[in-house]
Amino acid sequence: MIRFIAKRLGSGLVVLFVVSALTFFLLYISSGSIARNILGDQATAEQVAMKEHELGLDQPLVLRYFAWLADALSGNLGASWFTSEPVANSLATRIPVTMTMVFAAMILIAFCAALIGVIAAVRRGWVDRVVQVGAIIGDSIPGFVIGVILVTVLAIQLGLFPATSTISPESGPDAWLYSMSLPVIALLVNGVTGGAQQIRSAVIKQLERDYVRTLRSRGIGEREILFKHVLRSAAPAGLTVLSLQLIGMLGGVVIIEQIFALPGMGPLAVAATGQSDLPVVMGVVMYTVVVVIVVNLLVDIINGWLNPKVRVS
Amino acid sequence: MKLGPKVAAAALVLSASFALTGCGGAANSGSAAGAATALTLGTVQDVRSWDPAQAHVGHVLQPYQAVYDTLILREPDGKLSPMLATDWKYNADNTKLTLDLRTDVTFSDGAKFDAEAAKANVDHFKKANGPQMAQLASVKDVTVVDADTIDFNLSTPDPALEYFLSQAAGLMGSPKALGSEGIKTEPVGSGPYVMDKAASVKDSQTVFTARKDYWNKDLQKYQKLTFKVLTDLTARTNALVSGQVDATILDPKNGRQAEGAKMKLAANEVDWQGLLLLDRDGVKNPALANVKVRQAINYAFDRKTILDQVMLGQGTPTSQPFGKASGAWSEELENYYSYDPAKAKQLLKEASFENGVTLEIPAVPGFETQISVITQQLADVGITLKVGAALTNTYTADIAAQKFTTIYFSLFQGQPTVATDQIVSTKALYNPFKNTTPELEAKIAAVRSGGADAGKLAQEVNKYVVEQAWFAPLFRINQMYYHNSKVNVTPQIQQAVPSVYNYSPAK
Repeated sequence: MIRFIAKRLGSGLVVLFVVSALTFFLLYISSGSIARNILGDQATAEQVAMKEHELGLDQPLVLRYFAWLADALSGNLGASWFTSEPVANSLATRIPVTMTMVFAAMILIAFCAALIGVIAAVRRGWVDRVVQVGAIIGDSIPGFVIGVILVTVLAIQLGLFPATSTISPESGPDAWLYSMSLPVIALLVNGVTGGAQQIRSAVIKQLERDYVRTLRSRGIGEREILFKHVLRSAAPAGLTVLSLQLIGMLGGVVIIEQIFALPGMGPLAVAATGQSDLPVVMGVVMYTVVVVIVVNLLVDIINGWLNPKVRVS
Repeated sequence: MKLGPKVAAAALVLSASFALTGCGGAANSGSAAGAATALTLGTVQDVRSWDPAQAHVGHVLQPYQAVYDTLILREPDGKLSPMLATDWKYNADNTKLTLDLRTDVTFSDGAKFDAEAAKANVDHFKKANGPQMAQLASVKDVTVVDADTIDFNLSTPDPALEYFLSQAAGLMGSPKALGSEGIKTEPVGSGPYVMDKAASVKDSQTVFTARKDYWNKDLQKYQKLTFKVLTDLTARTNALVSGQVDATILDPKNGRQAEGAKMKLAANEVDWQGLLLLDRDGVKNPALANVKVRQAINYAFDRKTILDQVMLGQGTPTSQPFGKASGAWSEELENYYSYDPAKAKQLLKEASFENGVTLEIPAVPGFETQISVITQQLADVGITLKVGAALTNTYTADIAAQKFTTIYFSLFQGQPTVATDQIVSTKALYNPFKNTTPELEAKIAAVRSGGADAGKLAQEVNKYVVEQAWFAPLFRINQMYYHNSKVNVTPQIQQAVPSVYNYSPAK
């Protein structure tokens, strides 16, 4: 197991390095006069030249990459070109907001999707049809549309929730709960409907296997078959779906955060990309890659723990 | 009983929602702007750095005004009044501006405001390479005459200098904090409010509290002032309508929703929109060198209809690029080019372009509708508009590199010299082909040395570029600034959002 984890971590590092190099070169080559972006349209040519020197943009690209890499390895991700705020600081204040939302949504998705999926698989009939229709409807309504509908109805018309985030250092956990509720609901609807559909198929597939028939023939109760055998075998499929949803959610959350004005990673990524604030963009990309690597690793470990067959292979 | 799949699916979606709303219970309905002594404003972006030398114009100036006083105060109608400077006057040839300063002002860190402090700010501004550094380009240096008097020594007369001293260049920070790392994240000024850093979150909200013993109580109308950063237009609309912010800037379409919720509009014309016919010497597109072609383009547009259809009528059709408040505006130029497709075709014929002219313009995100409408109207007179790839965030560099011969844009209408150096003079970014004539140069020079008459003299520059059809302006557009009934708002001339002093509690 330890060797397996070490191997996955090693390949993760390679991915991180490759992505950082690719992102760095693509960003720097495609963005023109960054200094002028920073100074605005009234800056003179001398001002622009001064700023380029200040930012080290007059150095060769490869040198700049290795300077960035050396700094990054020592934990220094640089500072925003526009605000001079250290990138590590920006990430540290924003990751908790985004991650709270993503994990709250994921836990609820896992719970609801598993419950609904298993019920649909076991009961079949109308419940199953509802789940299938729900999956289609859920997939066809983007999260941000659900977000806008929720704000209009629950925040503006009924006044149950704040329309945009009220999170601030003065506010207690209740403000977090109120501010996060609508965005989390907007995020989880697609996840629940999609996840339930996948889990349903995985459970049905297992229920049709020969070993279930054998277990039944030996008089073992349906409940025990389901919880002890079927769910365990169906878990890898469910986990994979959930991990893919989590990774997909890192993208979806960008728009949700904009709509609800949550100070998470989304607005930071959008603003930095729009302005070509490259140190910040690099920071955001590195964070995303790390999350993807960690999530995949965790899923592999949990799968191995649930199902010895995976460990052997 | 068998439920229909639709009903059941709706129930499924709803039950997922209620799983969470159940825990929510009775939420506060967003009463951030509760008491009359608190004001919450929705802003489009956060301040990048609180160093006063990094301040910008318009809505990027507003937050700085909460903590920094300016040397000169600009009233809502544009009149310049005393602030930290009690009086100012030029010498005979407009090359030296002498300012008398207040003696009773301190900064929030205890430092005293005096001539040395003012000089330290100007020196810092001139070397800090901020976005508005050009505001002091004509200032050679500043000399301290005595404890409460300073001289601005100019290398060349600049009629806009007094105005600049009411803007970014006039913001005064504590000399002890200037140039330090600390001032980037926590401002130290002499203004009506001080930042409550513990309650502020970068890119989310900045909170200020009224400063005790502030010298000018007339400018300090609230106990608490909060800037809530709402980049997204929908989020701003929702925050205003639900009472989370007291005032914010929207657009005509979202404004309808705000009006439905009984929000009030404080409209103000700040920008003009239209075509910039940049290649007037025909370097890349020979047709544009012909003034008749450029005039034909101007006659092709039904400005009123475009305004009504695209901007819901929020603005005024115009043929001139200079703004109404600049002094360079004139009534006779307002409808200089009326909608006349026959005349446009006639002019093209006279210019020997009756077989058609092709213009290439870049697509501009946000102006897709406008560009498709003008494409159609130009086609009606025989001019083909070829829309190319969209402008990216390097557009300023692309414009400077003469990549575009024509662009569609929305531009700020500033003071005469500001507008001239933005779109007309050979230094202007929006004159990348450096077009000029001796006649125009003479008119511009007259404005620069015109002192108080600069506005009137700039009418000549305006007239020249309108007659020569350097541009094809369509309309001045309204900035849609909305507020609720708890606050009175006075629009500020030439600013999309009002100055911070223009808000007061409604009685």
